[in-house]
Amino acid sequence: MVTREDLEKFVTQVTPPEDFGDFWSEVLANLGKIDLSPQISPVPMRSTREVSVFHASYRSLGGLEIATWYCVPAQGRGPFPAIIRFPGYKGEPGLQRDWGNRGVITLTVSVRGKLRSNSEFNPGYPGLMTHGIEDRDDYSYKGVISDCVRGVDFLLSRPEVDTGQIFACGSSQGGGLTLITAALRQEIRGGVSGYPFLCCFPEAMQMLRSYPYNELNCYARAHPDRASQMLDTLRYYDAVNFAGRIQCPMAVGIAMDDEVCPPETSYAAYQQLTGPKELWLFPDSGHGNAHEYPDRETDWLERNIASGRTNGTTQ
Amino acid sequence: MTSKEMAFDEFWSTLNGNLADQPLQLSTEMDSFYSQPEWTVYRVHYSGIDGYPLFSWISIPSHSTDRQLPALLRMPDYGSVHDVIHTSLRQDAVVMNATHRGQRHSDSSFQAQYPGLLTEGIDRPETFVMLRVFADAMRAVDACLGWIGGDPAPTLVLTGSGLGGALALAAAARYPQVKAVAADTPLALGHPMMIDRKAYPLAEMADYLRVYPDQQDNLLAATAPLNPVRLAAKIDVPVLLSVGRRDQGQCPVSVGSELAAALPDCDLRVYDGGSEGGGHPHEVLKAAWLKTHLGLA
Repeated sequence: MVTREDLEKFVTQVTPPEDFGDFWSEVLANLGKIDLSPQISPVPMRSTREVSVFHASYRSLGGLEIATWYCVPAQGRGPFPAIIRFPGYKGEPGLQRDWGNRGVITLTVSVRGKLRSNSEFNPGYPGLMTHGIEDRDDYSYKGVISDCVRGVDFLLSRPEVDTGQIFACGSSQGGGLTLITAALRQEIRGGVSGYPFLCCFPEAMQMLRSYPYNELNCYARAHPDRASQMLDTLRYYDAVNFAGRIQCPMAVGIAMDDEVCPPETSYAAYQQLTGPKELWLFPDSGHGNAHEYPDRETDWLERNIASGRTNGTTQ
Repeated sequence: MTSKEMAFDEFWSTLNGNLADQPLQLSTEMDSFYSQPEWTVYRVHYSGIDGYPLFSWISIPSHSTDRQLPALLRMPDYGSVHDVIHTSLRQDAVVMNATHRGQRHSDSSFQAQYPGLLTEGIDRPETFVMLRVFADAMRAVDACLGWIGGDPAPTLVLTGSGLGGALALAAAARYPQVKAVAADTPLALGHPMMIDRKAYPLAEMADYLRVYPDQQDNLLAATAPLNPVRLAAKIDVPVLLSVGRRDQGQCPVSVGSELAAALPDCDLRVYDGGSEGGGHPHEVLKAAWLKTHLGLA
């Protein structure tokens, strides 16, 4: 298990490329030119008296259709605060009905490559981590991140959403995507990033033999002539390089025995945050399995949503 | 014998017959991309009971050309993706990561939906996919035994979480070659408590009954042969079982207690967690337990 001292001692070598901001400004500008084409259709089998469940979709980079689960409170009057949840690397995003009872909308995003969003892009697992990695413009995560950004656009397009009360969260890859999306979209009012992945790629590759980071090692071994280009690409996608651009309140949860996302790398991202922030360290916990984490995430979101309501950001 | 017991025995007897009738058609190909100096990774292909093409990853320690190594077979949990498994046990044991129909790499003609898989085709035995998912898990054991071979076969230990825990227990009930099972929060599919759960995946049952309220008896009957508590009496190997007190979607703690009581040799560990069961402390304990039962301690 690493200690707090180990976290403090770790210094990442990751720095943003000079044109980092320009690159992402261009990505966002190009995304904005794509018609969102939001669609929703009710899913009666998953709906309850308290929560209406919808299959929702929208268009993202390359015109791909991205699927989501959209859960809307069936009781009470909107507009409602909303939580957008980003997925882990392997798991299929589930629908989140429990927030509906609290008067909160949830949107869980199946980024490209996930089951419901893979008809046109399906690099597989393993595979997603290294797909197109030779070129920053072809890398799979350019699309994945765009899909998350467009999820925010979807929420902004909905009349039942309180657009001043949009929060983001996710664990593992979802934690990394929470940091990245919060950096790219100022409409996000706060976020919770659990066990964040996508942080300090070069160091994580050296620290671990577990997947998904190890896919990068496999790639470097199979294509030694392209390893340098791979690392160049990853600088544009490292959550550490995004974290300093986040302005909203954030909470970051780190398991001190995490063998999938090294605690030091997650902490490096936390250190870059300049806005209000909370750090949750979980000793004797591994990746994604701190017993306290779900309650901490819920408490933080409830608290910040309540604060937004009190401060009158609710329309 | 009650009619329920007869239906239970008939299901497993028919399944055994179907498994025996279908050739395994085992083939393997080395995956040079995911192989590393310490271990060699293979893609394993084989046939399910109805000829359905199935897939597993298998990892072999590179230092040994001896196939008589102990084997750890991880049964698939309730989700689509199962990639190359990483565990420190890969250094000294064959480690196989199986998939069932509908999951990635075993999805040539059927893609599982989440939520949705648990009740897919549940109105008729011929179409109820979960029955075939359990058959696919048995085929994974056949494939693993086909790989490690030998007479007597090397030590085979099963593990799994959620659905994987239930599949591991079901396989241990059928295969005498299995020497031990580590099951975390085994999915209580077939247990009467499954019908009013609030969390997925078991909440799929409540969703189904909300739409088809008159189908409760049929739903219970369709899933009864898969009830891990019913299978427990046929399992005579050591079982390490973990459950979480707050688990609402996989294995409620009362089902875990019932299961432990029905198992002749069970080490039940109850934790404060949810569907993740014991979390990291249990992972540490389980790794040591598996090492011991694989004969690597």
